[in-house]
Amino acid sequence: MSVVPAQQTGGGGGSSGLYDVLELVLDRGLVIDAFVRVSLVGIEILKIDVRVVVASVDTYLRFAEACNRLDLEAGPRKSPGLPEIVGEVTESGARGKSKGALSGAAQTVSDAFKQARDEGSEEEQPVRRTRKTATTRRKREEESE
Amino acid sequence: MSTYVYGITARSHTAVPEGTTGVGEPPEPIRILTEGDLAAIVSDSPEGLRPKRRDLLAHQNVLAQAEASGCVLPMRFGSVAPDDASVTGVLAERAEHYLERLRALDGKVEYNIKATHVEEAVLHHVMATNAEVRSLAEANRKAGGGSYEQKLQLGEMVASAVKAQEAEDAVAVQQALEPVAAAVATGPESTGWLANVSFLVARDSAQEFLAAVEALRSSHPHLEVRANGPLPPYSFVEPGPAEPAEQAGQREAAAQE
Repeated sequence: MSVVPAQQTGGGGGSSGLYDVLELVLDRGLVIDAFVRVSLVGIEILKIDVRVVVASVDTYLRFAEACNRLDLEAGPRKSPGLPEIVGEVTESGARGKSKGALSGAAQTVSDAFKQARDEGSEEEQPVRRTRKTATTRRKREEESE
Repeated sequence: MSTYVYGITARSHTAVPEGTTGVGEPPEPIRILTEGDLAAIVSDSPEGLRPKRRDLLAHQNVLAQAEASGCVLPMRFGSVAPDDASVTGVLAERAEHYLERLRALDGKVEYNIKATHVEEAVLHHVMATNAEVRSLAEANRKAGGGSYEQKLQLGEMVASAVKAQEAEDAVAVQQALEPVAAAVATGPESTGWLANVSFLVARDSAQEFLAAVEALRSSHPHLEVRANGPLPPYSFVEPGPAEPAEQAGQREAAAQE
């Protein structure tokens, strides 16, 4: 099974919890008329479409194939997305993304920021958001099939 | 030298830890400007500031540090005043408004919730609940996968069922969590999520809120639900309706079903 995101984005990965809140930092919060705002040119964070459902022939065929392979008798509890599968994804490196689902606790922002500081290697790049987990997860599925 | 503003807080709650630094390279030291009962958390604004990852982090980090000692009204990233005097000028001019907002948000934090579908699980859900899809899939399977047209027909039907499920689940996410929240705000426009919603939650009921998130995960195993918080109340700094009218309408419609 392959996934074709509607719009592929490159650039840095990791610290996904951080990316989840950056749009709030950029798009919410108090604005005061008397102050100027720095230019946000180069920010793609609000315009990224990685939704899996896209009305296209490719998607339809992929869904049809997937449905043909589904084993309804196994029940939804056998589906990926359950904690043990998420665990695998975590090990494969998409830590921030799956942490919340794994532990059941909200990922604290300070964790995300600590992690981002620890990674720290892509600081000079403009902000980009990738959906690493989605593709990682599906790669895993492929491997397990 | 222009002044970068991080947030506005009560003068009595300005305990930003020693050595906290803000935007810029090297990072600018944080300063506190006071005016009446209010204080602004600021630093010098570096030349040519752009929304780099490091600076966005710094902005959020300063606010997270400040939030620990009391309510802060977070500024949107990149707010720059001509100088310190114009910052205190704004504090003086709009003191009543900011004090009211600080009182209203006191003891409350924001949690941002994003939900996506786990694809295989949602396909399973659609198959299990939609007899039409199930029988078509069954027919195709018996025909060794079905013809190209049959596959397309099945796929299109599934895609539309998944879309309907997204809308349904978006409502479910909000309904599950709003009873434990003081206010709700739809997140910034962005795609890639079936739900992107912020909840204003009293610090005291944070555990309750997270328990509701956990319950949502259990009852909707086909959803990946991510909770980020506690955050400064970015989505709730300005008063007004807690949610767009459209959303309230959707909920009413759902309640009537």
